[in-house]
Amino acid sequence: MPQILPNFSSSVKLKYVKLGYQYLVNHILTFFLIPVMVGILVEILRLGPEEMLNIWRSLHFDLVQILCSSFLIIFIATVYFMSKPRSIYLVDYACYKAPPTCRVPFSTFMEHSRLILKDNPKSVDFQMRILERSGLGEETCLPPAIHYIPPTPTMEAARGEAEEVIFSAIDSLMKKTRIKPKDIDILIVNCSLFSPTPSLSAMVVNKYKLRSNIKSYNLSGMGCSAGLISIDLARDLLQVHPNSYALVVSTEIITPNYYQGSERAMLLPNCLFRMGGAAILLSNKRRDRSRAKYRLVHVVRTHKGADDKAYKCVYEQEDPQGKVGINLSKDLMVIAGEALKSNITTIGPLVLPASEQLLFLFTLIGRKIFNPKWKPYIPDFKQAFEHFCIHAGGRAVIDELQKNLQLSAEHVEASRMTLHRFGNTSSSSLWYELGYIEAKGRMKKGDRIWQIAFGSGFKCNSAVWKCNRTIGTPTDGPWQDCIDRYPVHIPEIVKL
Amino acid sequence: MDLVPMFLYCLPLLCLFYNLWKIFDKRRHQNCYILDYECYKPSDDRKLNTRFCGEVIRRNKQLGLHEYKFLLKAIVSSGIGEDTYGPKMVTEGREMSPTLDDAIIEMDDFFIDTIDKLFKKTGISPSEVDVLVVNISMLAAMPSLSSRIIYHYKMREDIKVYNLTGMGCSASPIAINIVQNIFKTQRNVQALVVTSESLSLGWYTGKDRSMILANCLFRSGGCAILLTNKVALKEKAMFKLKCLVRTHHGAKDESYGCCIQKEDDQGFVGIHLGKNLPKAATRAFIENLKEIAPKILPVRELLRFILLTLIRKMTQKSTKTGAASRPVINFKTGVDHFCLHTGGKAVIDAVAQNLNLSEHDIEPARMTLHRFGNTSASSIWYVLAYMQAKKRLKKGDKVFMISFGAGFKCNSCLWEVMRDLDQDGNVWKEFINSYPPKTITNPFLEKYGWIQEEDPDTFCIPDDYVIP
Repeated sequence: MPQILPNFSSSVKLKYVKLGYQYLVNHILTFFLIPVMVGILVEILRLGPEEMLNIWRSLHFDLVQILCSSFLIIFIATVYFMSKPRSIYLVDYACYKAPPTCRVPFSTFMEHSRLILKDNPKSVDFQMRILERSGLGEETCLPPAIHYIPPTPTMEAARGEAEEVIFSAIDSLMKKTRIKPKDIDILIVNCSLFSPTPSLSAMVVNKYKLRSNIKSYNLSGMGCSAGLISIDLARDLLQVHPNSYALVVSTEIITPNYYQGSERAMLLPNCLFRMGGAAILLSNKRRDRSRAKYRLVHVVRTHKGADDKAYKCVYEQEDPQGKVGINLSKDLMVIAGEALKSNITTIGPLVLPASEQLLFLFTLIGRKIFNPKWKPYIPDFKQAFEHFCIHAGGRAVIDELQKNLQLSAEHVEASRMTLHRFGNTSSSSLWYELGYIEAKGRMKKGDRIWQIAFGSGFKCNSAVWKCNRTIGTPTDGPWQDCIDRYPVHIPEIVKL
Repeated sequence: MDLVPMFLYCLPLLCLFYNLWKIFDKRRHQNCYILDYECYKPSDDRKLNTRFCGEVIRRNKQLGLHEYKFLLKAIVSSGIGEDTYGPKMVTEGREMSPTLDDAIIEMDDFFIDTIDKLFKKTGISPSEVDVLVVNISMLAAMPSLSSRIIYHYKMREDIKVYNLTGMGCSASPIAINIVQNIFKTQRNVQALVVTSESLSLGWYTGKDRSMILANCLFRSGGCAILLTNKVALKEKAMFKLKCLVRTHHGAKDESYGCCIQKEDDQGFVGIHLGKNLPKAATRAFIENLKEIAPKILPVRELLRFILLTLIRKMTQKSTKTGAASRPVINFKTGVDHFCLHTGGKAVIDAVAQNLNLSEHDIEPARMTLHRFGNTSASSIWYVLAYMQAKKRLKKGDKVFMISFGAGFKCNSCLWEVMRDLDQDGNVWKEFINSYPPKTITNPFLEKYGWIQEEDPDTFCIPDDYVIP
């Protein structure tokens, strides 16, 4: 990625010039209005109080006119508010926390690996090297069926994992929001690689006895970015249906997808993907405005499937022995960077303050007209957002994004710590990260959050939220018992 | 000055009119039109005729005489004919060990054939598609099948794509529902809905009777539909969506468990169709009808029905031995054509009886079941194509689509025909003139009826037995 403006930007003087410029451009309206207001004030003071009273008395309005005008104003205000798109609020969300019996510390994982792959010591070594550099911790969890040697991924075990994860998350959410199952109008479940008939959404309807006119959707195959796709669908639905609650469940069921072969490229997901799930309640009811945690501002989706390399970089296929697994190609990082660039070009104009956009515009014009050798300006997204939730896809993904967006260590701390404590939980990882930021007490009213997720296909989706009320340190949630130990320093290589 | 108050009044009035106009204009752009649709006809080497079916059954060493007798009864009364299509891996003899590649190739064949034809017919290019909804129930691959389509047709980066799975045979109206909702929030949108079923990986190879039934009924098929809400394309549109109602009975345990994918006692995965499937279906069906009837029937019919029900209630109260029959609501007053999901002969018969439909009304569904089998979510589109091929659809007609699926869901929608439709090359073109045939019973009974006489103790098929 190209660098920012050349080295003299580190000089102190330019920094203040930049700050002044930003302040000027972002508050330009105020700067114009102030002279006008001052002028009016001076004029009023010059006229004096008696003249003011004379002017007031000379305006006669009779009763009819006043009534008509007030009705008109009220009518216009109503029509205006009716035609605005509805605000979508995130009332609350809950993340699944696996019991300690499901934990897979490095020693357990390597022991399993050695026993199952005893004929392929090279594959065992490969897994060990990946695990050392993965950024995962000792408390990530795998479902019970995978703890068997060899794993027993029956359909019943997969259903069992789905029930455990999804129902726990929804139970926890219902307790937090005090909502009844009969109140839910829209249900969206997304789980990439497990889709039984009837769907997981039907399973949720059955367990919680949801209403028969519920609008349920079951998305799958959409990878780690599916959580934001579900939020996008919920947003479209909530625009059309007034006064509704939408329950979005994001999860990934590991049991049927644990690779049982020995191809090295396909063993990589085994080292990274872990059990996890989240349930989110969205609402467009006016009365939730006071109790909602966040308000959805934008959702931007980018799909690079038209490009050959992007499409093939996360690919499910069979290995020569016929075992199914996910193949991650070597240029995953490059493709992720490209997809992010496309996403940024769309989301930039929506969220960046005017100062950044102007700078970007000037450099763009300059490159086109004056000198193509000018370095392209990377807008400073730290101006637009206070918190960043980057999908914990792996250590390399977080490093790459930190470099591309020029973020500090504190900005990506949530992502790194989520990867360490929970592993790559696919579409629900963004919610664990949000939980981390809340648990650390960093979320204040008015803060803007940017959630970015990548997924197979190749997709890059982002969502922008605005914090609706200052969130106190939560007393429950997946981080409750371990937040005090964080942040931990994660070394480059953990020697096993 | 007079001008100032005039100006002061005009400005807010203008503002008001502008806002009102915006609201009305939005309504105009929220209609859901079908531009065109294309059903899939697999290649002829994939046909599963009676002889071949017998061959497949014989190949499954798990099955014994009891299962043969059961299968005979099931297939004879299924209403399925000689020309239905199966997945390639069955015709190639590999149904015991299908691979992921088989499933992907099955889908690729469908996409490349049908979606190409659809784009050519309508003249729309793939880069103009804004929304893509794919629903293929039994296959969840990574990257999703929707990404596969985007990759193949090089669609735009900002496309809105949704991949639904697991929603069973009633998924078509669900996909249309997503598109309908997006149409209400955005203008000038073109949407592509692709619906099909992947049979390769779901083929059951065990011997549980409730699960083998699925193999006898489900066949390969699919449909691609282009929809839009552009007012400019209204003249070219075929249908307009009037209303759509979804009913989900998953809350009831018997409804949820009557059609469920699970492992049998030996660990083979298949779809279990329970004995209470008809009852669950009827319950969901009736509730769905109750909700959609007020939206689609004329007021006169509704009043008549309410009046008759009240009269019956009153006469029942006064005379304890009231033998008056229940008043039946007449759907034909509001609907001209019925597209029923071809779940099986029993399903079609039950629906016909409940709605008081004539043979002429259910002929399209019966013929689709006979010619294409139960193609799951896309079956209602084949039924629609039959009606179009028989030139039954005239401008202003109302078409009622209803389908049932696992969960237990019952979804229905009402379409209005926008212009007189003729055949112009749809999937039934080559053989529409031979329909309806004189008889729709398949030759399964005459070929294999002798099985019924066999004694389980002495029954044995020699290894070199060749099916005539």
